[in-house]
Amino acid sequence: MKCPVCLEKVQSYHSMASHFLSEDEKSDPGHVMFLNRYISRNRIEQEQLSDNLERFFHMDNGFRNWIIRTFVNRFFGDSPHPFILENQHPKPYIIRGYAMEHHHFLWQWVRSCSYIIGNSDNDDVVQYEIENITSEWYGTNDSPSHHELLLRMGEAYGLNRKDILNSIPLPATESAKEFWSYACKNLSWQEGMSAMHSLELIANRKVLEYGGKFGYFDPSVMKSSEIREEAKEFLKEGYLADVSHSERALIIIERHSDLEMLQNCQAVFMKSIEYFYDYLLARIERGYILENKQ
Amino acid sequence: MREVIYLKTNNETGCGLCDATWGKYYKDIDGDNMVFCCSICADIFEEMVRRVKENTGWKSIDYVELHGNYSRGRECTARNGDDTFSYYFRTYSDGKFITFEKR
Repeated sequence: MKCPVCLEKVQSYHSMASHFLSEDEKSDPGHVMFLNRYISRNRIEQEQLSDNLERFFHMDNGFRNWIIRTFVNRFFGDSPHPFILENQHPKPYIIRGYAMEHHHFLWQWVRSCSYIIGNSDNDDVVQYEIENITSEWYGTNDSPSHHELLLRMGEAYGLNRKDILNSIPLPATESAKEFWSYACKNLSWQEGMSAMHSLELIANRKVLEYGGKFGYFDPSVMKSSEIREEAKEFLKEGYLADVSHSERALIIIERHSDLEMLQNCQAVFMKSIEYFYDYLLARIERGYILENKQ
Repeated sequence: MREVIYLKTNNETGCGLCDATWGKYYKDIDGDNMVFCCSICADIFEEMVRRVKENTGWKSIDYVELHGNYSRGRECTARNGDDTFSYYFRTYSDGKFITFEKR
């Protein structure tokens, strides 16, 4: 297994607890924040920390359910992500910020999927990722790509396609891209898939069934005139596609991994969602910048 | 002789910003050697104090009441003598401010 903060190899939850306590002595921000957010706000000693870490990572209903539960708690739980709150009834500035930052996300996305293919000798993985790259970036004769729908959404809200394509990602988006590139290029295909495809749960229609307080957006926006048709087309595509995308990926990982690999995938997933958290904040910041709200 | 004014917060058990009792990172804030859980919380607190002073024109702050967390952002009230200033802020996980607004 690996540390969910620095990905250092550890032998057991006991040694993971020792590692965290050693980093705590140095007041290392990443390790302290993990403990604070996921384990306990108050300092606990080795034995209890070891038990709490084991409880946190225990996959009582399998890997897929653990990933879904942890993701839903982080983004749709008692303190939902600010972008989720804003996206319930998205204002024009949020949609503009979304369009510009998400271009960079998708640019990285297809490269990450390609690295995963390169690291895998499994045909299910290759087929899955090729379908994914096609639908996200290239499209088919029958349907435009998700990226094309994103650009159309941005244009409908006054952005210039060229400006989106030539924009420089905000620092949080750039850091996230760097991590996703590193993870998919250098780690196993299972860890790369865990880093990327778990993120598609963000638009999963079943989030409310999984215990989320909110969905990705309030479905009533699809029937009202509060957002433009281009925004509806974009949101609809992700909303319809991502259930099979994200859950199918998690099933493939689980089918082709032993326990140790799944534990490594948990660590990479935890690190990935921290980058994703800040990337979603960057959509809001970009919206502010485009609106001159800062 | 310089008068040392101690900045207090409602977080009395742990980190001056988030109240966690992990870590121990000291930083001088307005002459007070305050304790935080990590350098990021310390930097956020320092920047928050700077922005409060910039908004109010105060030379120092006596007390800050903080409510919220990293996800929700933080609703705060700062006090200087009889004056108060209420505000809200949110940061990235590296401490960079996204929002700071008067409430």
